[in-house]
Amino acid sequence: MSTSAEPAGIYVHVPFCLTRCGYCDFNAYAGLDGLKPRYLAALLREAELAGPGWAGTSFTSVFLGGGTPTTLAPEDLRTLLAHLRTVFDLGDDAEVTIEANPDTVTELSLAAILDAGYGRLSIGAQSFDPAVLTALERIHQPASVRAAVAAARGVGYGNVSLDLIYGAQGETLGSWTHTLEQTLALAPEHISAYALTIESATPLGRKVAVGEAPPPDPDLQADLFLGACELLREAGYVHYEVSNWARPGFECRHNLGYWERRPYVGLGAGAHAYRDDVRWWNVRPPEAYLERVEAGELPIGGSESLDPSDAYLEEVFLRLRILEGVPASWFEPARYEAFVASGLLQDDLGRLVPTERGLLLLNELVLGLTA
Amino acid sequence: MATDISRIRNFCIVAHIDHGKSTLADRMLEITHTVDERMMRAQYLDRMDLERERGITIKAQAVRLVHEGHELNLIDTPGHVDFTYEVSRSLAACEGAILLVDAAQGLEAQTLANFHLARDAGLTIVPALNKIDLPAAEPDRRAEELAHLLDRDPHDILRISAKTGAGVEELLAAVIAHVPPPVGDASAPLRALIFDSAFDTYRGVITYVRVHDGTLPSHARIRMFATGVESDAEEAGVMAPEATPVDALGPGEVGYLVTGLKDVHHAKVGDTITLAGKHAATEPLPGYREPKPMVWSGLYPADGNDYPVLRDALDKLKLSDSALVYEPESSQALGFGFRVGFLGLLHMDIVRERLEREFGLELISTAPNVEFHVFRADRMTVVHNPAEMPAGGDHDRVEEPVVYATIITPAEYLGAVFELCQARRGELVDMSYLTPERVEVHYVLPLAEIVFDFFDQLKSKTRGFASLDYEPWGFQDSRLVRVDILLHGEPVDAFSSVVHRDKAYTYGKQMVERLKELIPRQLFDVAVQASIGSKVIARETVKAKRKDVLAKCYGGDITRKRKLLETQKKGKERMRRVGRVDVPQEAFIAALRVDEGAKKR
Repeated sequence: MSTSAEPAGIYVHVPFCLTRCGYCDFNAYAGLDGLKPRYLAALLREAELAGPGWAGTSFTSVFLGGGTPTTLAPEDLRTLLAHLRTVFDLGDDAEVTIEANPDTVTELSLAAILDAGYGRLSIGAQSFDPAVLTALERIHQPASVRAAVAAARGVGYGNVSLDLIYGAQGETLGSWTHTLEQTLALAPEHISAYALTIESATPLGRKVAVGEAPPPDPDLQADLFLGACELLREAGYVHYEVSNWARPGFECRHNLGYWERRPYVGLGAGAHAYRDDVRWWNVRPPEAYLERVEAGELPIGGSESLDPSDAYLEEVFLRLRILEGVPASWFEPARYEAFVASGLLQDDLGRLVPTERGLLLLNELVLGLTA
Repeated sequence: MATDISRIRNFCIVAHIDHGKSTLADRMLEITHTVDERMMRAQYLDRMDLERERGITIKAQAVRLVHEGHELNLIDTPGHVDFTYEVSRSLAACEGAILLVDAAQGLEAQTLANFHLARDAGLTIVPALNKIDLPAAEPDRRAEELAHLLDRDPHDILRISAKTGAGVEELLAAVIAHVPPPVGDASAPLRALIFDSAFDTYRGVITYVRVHDGTLPSHARIRMFATGVESDAEEAGVMAPEATPVDALGPGEVGYLVTGLKDVHHAKVGDTITLAGKHAATEPLPGYREPKPMVWSGLYPADGNDYPVLRDALDKLKLSDSALVYEPESSQALGFGFRVGFLGLLHMDIVRERLEREFGLELISTAPNVEFHVFRADRMTVVHNPAEMPAGGDHDRVEEPVVYATIITPAEYLGAVFELCQARRGELVDMSYLTPERVEVHYVLPLAEIVFDFFDQLKSKTRGFASLDYEPWGFQDSRLVRVDILLHGEPVDAFSSVVHRDKAYTYGKQMVERLKELIPRQLFDVAVQASIGSKVIARETVKAKRKDVLAKCYGGDITRKRKLLETQKKGKERMRRVGRVDVPQEAFIAALRVDEGAKKR
């Protein structure tokens, strides 16, 4: 058994959704609700199968993502977390996050979820502009986000994150500023803001490919990003990753684990795990996942072993994402001097840290540094 | 023993593509029993080289038919405007030509041009209308057209159907009756004209020859007049239609010779073969000309490491292509490559395709250009690469090649043809009505304009009905300038082009607009400029890239994201660097493609 001194995270994938949004390429499905009981049982079983492999590792975070984890009943969520605590060495002060769709939660359910131990709530708000929500094929209205946050606060949630997406069809600097102001009015501890990315294997991707929908304008998205940086900075949020801002001390510990290349175990259909330069992942279709687990096997669908150059590339691009930067001593000065001179990188006491403009061109920075 | 010279007839068939030349040859092979009935199949001669597995693997350029006590040598002529000189040498091996015209389609420009060549070479013309069995045939009208052209009685025009065989017997009889036998002096020193040559992997260079004087023995020490190369010939023979060795080829006879040479450049089309030593002739046959490339293009391997492969491939192709010339050159943008000269656009396509298919090369080729003569202080410099033109008018004058073009068009499209030719700087020479509906027009046009998409434009403006042929017509003074393309202030030599001053602005604007779409955004604004000398005539800007980052990168995204970066890195490595600007291969290929820009207009 390999043991790791570094604290690790647990990711649990819940692939169920009320509807499928046009832009989303996650491993998520609408209309599979009938599988929920089997799926919950499989998660418990998989944890048991995986647990021995992680003996000696202490875990400091759990993240339930999806899909929409809050489509599971609160009592099932309670069972799940309690089971994880029996299988894995999960500290009492672990950060436990659950993603929620505003239309799937009520004060009642949130009270139960909080009581079950899910102390961090990440709500998929996406936008406060009804036109943008329609373009994203989100079924909720801005009012449901406000209601969900109010409910969370009402039952005692002290760590709420809102997810936003910018740059969909119809988005303007004005609509985005409005969304950010509405978000700030709800005073979340944490905000994730993502530029809309067109994935080819989605309904929106097909629409863009055949010309039925315009592709996002990268220049506008750049303006929206810089606008967010400014507004959120003024509101006292720390920009700690390309798409993530937090009140000091509320950075997402679990997600930082990915970027700091700490180990994580993944449970559920398509979930990824990583430890010591090896990454592996579960089979993606929920039915296939269920069959494998029910047969008593670890449902591994694939794996990769990072060679030193892979690991180096990941180290560079992930460290640059979290504004921790990378030591300048890793590179020939010729590789980064032009980036520093043009204001894309800052040389911060020997560490190269991207500026806001640099974050927007992170791929170029990584390629230029590691070429 | 060689055939009595008075019973030899050497002839060719002048026809437009699809007018039935191959089918007529089939009927002749049948009627003369040259090919056994059971072995006969359509397009017999055209298919021979494909189906043969060993022995001589080249086309039957000249096939011997025996008919009514006569030896008839049917000599093939190349069917494309790139090969006018080769056509003229084939004609020089003949005393007569069948002018074969489709009774439905009528005369086409290429037939007409070759007919003029044949008549100027003193050949006896035997006119025939083919496909009279077709419902669309208009034999009376076409006979008028031909009679007018030949200044003969319409009743003299034979009417045949190569498909059914009707009239072919009579056509052969007419060839025997009207085409004169060759003249030659059997006792004079050997003089044999090479009218085609080919390279066989096993037997080396094989030439097709017409013996004028003397006798060509099967085994002899031979000498080529133009190149001075000597060699031991291994076999003489005739195609009947299979290669059949003979003891000797006598005066007036046509056949093949396995020369013992290994490089076609030593046995060039138009050269004269004589015997080595004291029996050598003192004078060659007239009309030899060095192959003259008309069109030039830079060829570069897409992968710079393939330069030696390209060099070896060209060296190999040269063995079997005597018209291919090339010299090494280097480009800042494209690296090491070759400036290659071609007989014309078809020849260029053939060579490119062979390089890619037979040698597995991926190539970038610059836009084709013609040869320029640059005069400065009474010194003439020949320029094959636009980048070598003096910039900004630093010369006294420039000459460019022109061609004499023959265009046959239905009268209703005459306006469109005039318009196109005027737009392409053409000078009208004359025109005449072949019939009330069809017009023959002659223009002198700069070759550079023909090279630039002229044929496609002609076809599209006349709904495919006009036909074109042209021949070199010397050089003329032109107001030409070099237009350079600059990326971020750096000239890109591969994009330099020589164009007429009046078209420079349009050309420059079109190129920068096109490049603006093709050049990916960089980390800084990139100016794309067209200039003449130091004067910028067009400009576009590729705005700096502002966003290139993946929004989400969580546990399940990292592998995919790393692979994306690796792909992006490989793409960057394949790019060419011009100054500080990274330009992908595809941008070069697309920007240098002539037709696309032309079609957009």
